[in-house]
Amino acid sequence: MTGYRKLDKWLGVLVALHVVIACGGFFAPYDPVEQDREHSYVRPMRLHLVDRQGNIHVRPFFYPLRPSEGSVNQYDEDTGRPISLKFFTSGASYKLLGFLPVRLHLFRADGARIYLLGSDGYGRDQLSRILYGGQVSLLAGLLGAGITLSIGLGIGAVAGYYGGWRDDVLMRLAELFLALPWLYLLFALRAFLPLAVSPLEAFLLIVVVIATVGWARPARLVRGVVLSAKERDFVRAARGFGASDSYLFRRHVLPETSSVLLTQAAILIPQYVLAEMTLSFLGLGVPEPVASWGNLLANLQQYSVLMSYWWMYLPALAVAPFFMGYLGLAAALEERADSLKMGSWSREV
Amino acid sequence: MARILEVRNLSVGYLSQTDEMCPAIVNVGFDIGPGEILGVLGESGSGKSTLAASILRLLPANGRVQQGIIRFEGRDVVQLDRRELENIRGRRIAMIDQEPSIVLHPTMQIRDQVGEILRRHERLPRRFRRERTGQILAELFPTESERIADSYPHELSGGQRQRVLIAQAIACRPSLIVADEPTASLDATTEREILAVLLSLRQKFGLAIILITHSPLLLAGVADRVLVLYAGRVVEIGPTTPVLASPLHPYTGALLQCLPQPLGRTDRGKRKTKLPVITGDSPGLISLSHGCRFEPRCPDRFETCRQREPPAVSVGNGRTVSCFCFGG
Repeated sequence: MTGYRKLDKWLGVLVALHVVIACGGFFAPYDPVEQDREHSYVRPMRLHLVDRQGNIHVRPFFYPLRPSEGSVNQYDEDTGRPISLKFFTSGASYKLLGFLPVRLHLFRADGARIYLLGSDGYGRDQLSRILYGGQVSLLAGLLGAGITLSIGLGIGAVAGYYGGWRDDVLMRLAELFLALPWLYLLFALRAFLPLAVSPLEAFLLIVVVIATVGWARPARLVRGVVLSAKERDFVRAARGFGASDSYLFRRHVLPETSSVLLTQAAILIPQYVLAEMTLSFLGLGVPEPVASWGNLLANLQQYSVLMSYWWMYLPALAVAPFFMGYLGLAAALEERADSLKMGSWSREV
Repeated sequence: MARILEVRNLSVGYLSQTDEMCPAIVNVGFDIGPGEILGVLGESGSGKSTLAASILRLLPANGRVQQGIIRFEGRDVVQLDRRELENIRGRRIAMIDQEPSIVLHPTMQIRDQVGEILRRHERLPRRFRRERTGQILAELFPTESERIADSYPHELSGGQRQRVLIAQAIACRPSLIVADEPTASLDATTEREILAVLLSLRQKFGLAIILITHSPLLLAGVADRVLVLYAGRVVEIGPTTPVLASPLHPYTGALLQCLPQPLGRTDRGKRKTKLPVITGDSPGLISLSHGCRFEPRCPDRFETCRQREPPAVSVGNGRTVSCFCFGG
């Protein structure tokens, strides 16, 4: 039972994290591409509850910034003008989950922009960009993993169930794909295509490329499960009662692959998010101005940014809880699969 | 009497890893009339299960029917294509397996495991199918069929699971049931119960049953006729009572000698009697000998036995023996 509790815990964590990203528009105070050239490389601002005079405010407030005299990208707090945050108010319009037009935001500041996680060189809000960038990166991971698992399931099932020359051909192909260094394959594929493609095209391209490269491992695992599933005694017995191949496949073989597929999904999704980040970091992925976790980190390619503005590392930190979540989920799934194996599935002797 | 199953000259072998053919049963022939129970007696490796599997064409991937005819209800099973076979399996010929704990699906309710067979072979509206399933289970579990229907296999005892397998087998009212050691995993009292169930079903539905076993005791009073297999050959076939009471073939005789004496009849207190055994080992599948397979272990062997295999000789009263002691 502890296996299930662990599974529930990690699932809960992951669902919460994904909801935050999916509803990024609500949590983000600004549009991710909205620029403010007056405030480039603003360091993360502080929220206060007590002002300089010692008065306690009910709403958190911040002091707006004005550029320091005689220096670049240095700002002073305008302590005479505290600005309070307003919660659950309407602001800039955005599309919730990509299609619902909504104006409601978690918080908003009137009179000056607030940068809770700092701003980048164009004065774009980092918090907003991390949230919106997460949508792109996570969607790439989820879609990619979905496609990979479908391909892997199809190929692995055919190879395992029918065996013979189909098995040989498909598994040798899988070994070929396992041996390919995927990053260089991606480079090569990307090199064939025009340099300037629309963000959507670029997004679909990397998803498809990542997904088609990775099918070999799940296919091999599925094949193994199918091989053992089709030899089970109740499958043999069902055949004796007139069950056809397609029935045995649907009813007895496919359900057994589910635990392998789930574990693989928990491993593949973060791996594919990372692949998207790698590509975008290298400029082969989703192009500016669209935010993704990868091209947010691309700013760090400039030495001055790397050395001077520590908050530009924050997107990397944002990724960590997601990866931890998926890692925990994969472990919990595996634990559950093991406990099932030792429990009701065991043969009685 | 019309025959529902005729097996003629059936030879089945297994391909080894090195593509050699290992014969498992050779030139087996017998037939069964409607409602008849044929006991197939043989030790491990004698080809009992291969015989059972080849009747339904359920041999493992490397199994091959080399020659012979298996005529069931007028059609040769050996010649049928896959679709025709699937329509016969479970509908006209059903199989009862020896390990009910592993052939039932662990996460399906009994109701569904029986209902699926009806769904496969009979077009019935869902409601009628449920009703039929209930009736079938009621045949096997007169008092608690509802509770059994809602159970999962792990909630049932070994005997109950075996009854579920029988329910599956009779679901579509087949004319022949192949029961491959149906009581192998049961204790002695449950064994008797299951046999009684089989007998009553035979009475009720006119089922013919091939009852495969290694225990002669099981067949007494149950089977109408007995077929004794040794190393893939039929050594003796005939009505149960005379075969068990006065076996003709030396192997049948030796086999019956090996039965442990009931406690009351041993010389209790005098000395411990040793369990009699047939000396020597049962032969492997590949043998270089041209003679009778039982010759190396046979107490009555003579020169001819080593030179060629004995043909089947009819000795009257429906009995047939393959032994040179009776001519040939």
